[in-house]
Amino acid sequence: MAFWPAARGVLGLALEGMIWSRRSLVMAVLLGLPVLFAIVYRAARAASVPPQLGGFELYGHIVALYYVRNLLPLAALFYATALVADEVEGRTLTYLLTRPIRRGSILVGKFVAYVATTLCLALPADVLTFFLLATAHGASGLGSRVPDLFRDLGVIALALLVYGALFTLLGVLLRRPVIPGLLFLFAWELVANLPGYMPRLTITGYLRSLTRHRPPEEGLGVLLGQPEVLPAALCLGVLITLALVFLGAAAWIFSRRDYVMEQ
Amino acid sequence: MTAPAGAPAPTVEFVRASRWYGQIIALNDVTATVGPGVTGLLGPNGAGKSTFLKLAAGQLAPSQGEVRVLGRPAWGSPEVFHRLGLCSEADAFWDRLTGEQFLTSLLRLTGYEEAECRRRADQALAQVDLLEARGRRIGGYSKGMRQRVKLAQALAHDPDVLLLDEPVSGMDPVNRRRVVDLVKRLGREGKTVLVSSHILYEVEAMTRKVLLIHNGRILAEGDVREIRDLMDEHPHTVALRARDPRVLARVVVTSPHVLSLTFGLEGEWLTVQTARPDEFYASLHDPAIEAGVTEMYSPDENLESVFRYLVAR
Repeated sequence: MAFWPAARGVLGLALEGMIWSRRSLVMAVLLGLPVLFAIVYRAARAASVPPQLGGFELYGHIVALYYVRNLLPLAALFYATALVADEVEGRTLTYLLTRPIRRGSILVGKFVAYVATTLCLALPADVLTFFLLATAHGASGLGSRVPDLFRDLGVIALALLVYGALFTLLGVLLRRPVIPGLLFLFAWELVANLPGYMPRLTITGYLRSLTRHRPPEEGLGVLLGQPEVLPAALCLGVLITLALVFLGAAAWIFSRRDYVMEQ
Repeated sequence: MTAPAGAPAPTVEFVRASRWYGQIIALNDVTATVGPGVTGLLGPNGAGKSTFLKLAAGQLAPSQGEVRVLGRPAWGSPEVFHRLGLCSEADAFWDRLTGEQFLTSLLRLTGYEEAECRRRADQALAQVDLLEARGRRIGGYSKGMRQRVKLAQALAHDPDVLLLDEPVSGMDPVNRRRVVDLVKRLGREGKTVLVSSHILYEVEAMTRKVLLIHNGRILAEGDVREIRDLMDEHPHTVALRARDPRVLARVVVTSPHVLSLTFGLEGEWLTVQTARPDEFYASLHDPAIEAGVTEMYSPDENLESVFRYLVAR
């Protein structure tokens, strides 16, 4: 069977299970927290409590710090490392591996299911948060901010894509990929706050450069000054290349390892 | 162990194949062929039966040697799965799916069009008597039904080679009979069916052709009756539960075929060792009624003892 029809078949099989999973329920709650926060913010405005930050600035902080820096990488970690591990633990991998399809198509189908699921959860949450916060002080100037929303949606999709590909690779490579993944996210990625070329060695450095929001820096960044903002074309090129390389390597490893005994 | 002249061409071939996991050798330098018809893969638990089947199904790569199915290497040849079906031992499913969704999803991955997927799914479900339960979620199936839907997914694409790992485990006698008949029919139709089991009478009901596996090696291959003869020569143990085991003991001890008698701790059980089980069973009828025998089983039926005996020889 050809690669893409096979991947589409696996996508169909994986998608429903992924959307209605406990993992998605938890992720929906976490992704929805900013929406709840935005509603509270508007309620506070209505009660004439003076806010510290304007609605749009607050939205920018949520996108840059909550979504892109923390929650989306975590979502990618918990979904993507489980793409193969769930089938191995559930001992259902055999059903997929005894079909006349290339193993790479199984991984790609499941990866697309992960991207579709997380996008379905993350994009509406971001759009709702944007409109709730950006219109908290009235709808004037909203039109000029809509391009930023589209840019943010693109960055969210890229974050899920590139972190997802990285953690898919970790998932097929390691038996326990979560701890190394967490170390990567919350130790290595802090390098993005250093000045000079170091942020170019992180994923978050490129993602952050793509958003227009510039929230206060974390940790050492406060002492060492603003890290450089990288050109958008470079960021896009690097992130897409990384996603393809990670996913290609994951598919290559997956098609050469036997997982059945781990079941 | 090569096929004799005139015999059907082998569909599954192991050529000095070994598989190990670290220090543990699961299959050791196995050379064997399996041709059309039903072949039983007999061995006690942990003998290497599942590893043998997983190697044949391309789920594991051999550490050494070669495993071929339908003339192609079993490992890394996904096109083989158009003609091969595997019913694995694991009781594992996507429980949210109905029986029909389970089969149609897998048939879609085999390359069939939607209508053909549904037709084949219904046909396979009918073969294992699950047509009425096709709309129910597998999570709500009984163990026997789960076993049968697993068998259905292996049959649905009408493969030439079927690898069945303990296929009747967990089934009630009626469905066990149905599956045994199905396996025999598939064998008669010229399909290569390799059935693993650790229970002699299960395999005996399906075929007379067996491969005996023990400690990762093929110990013997041939007619199941030869194994039965070996078992008959080997002391056979029968456990009997009776209202009055002493009355039973008094009668059976006079039989020339009884080697030893042991009373169980609970006082209701009597364990008999006999050199000629057939004659012993034939002579048991009247004493069993007299002593009120309520239960009887043979601890030897799992083949463990005959394998120990064969290895010792």
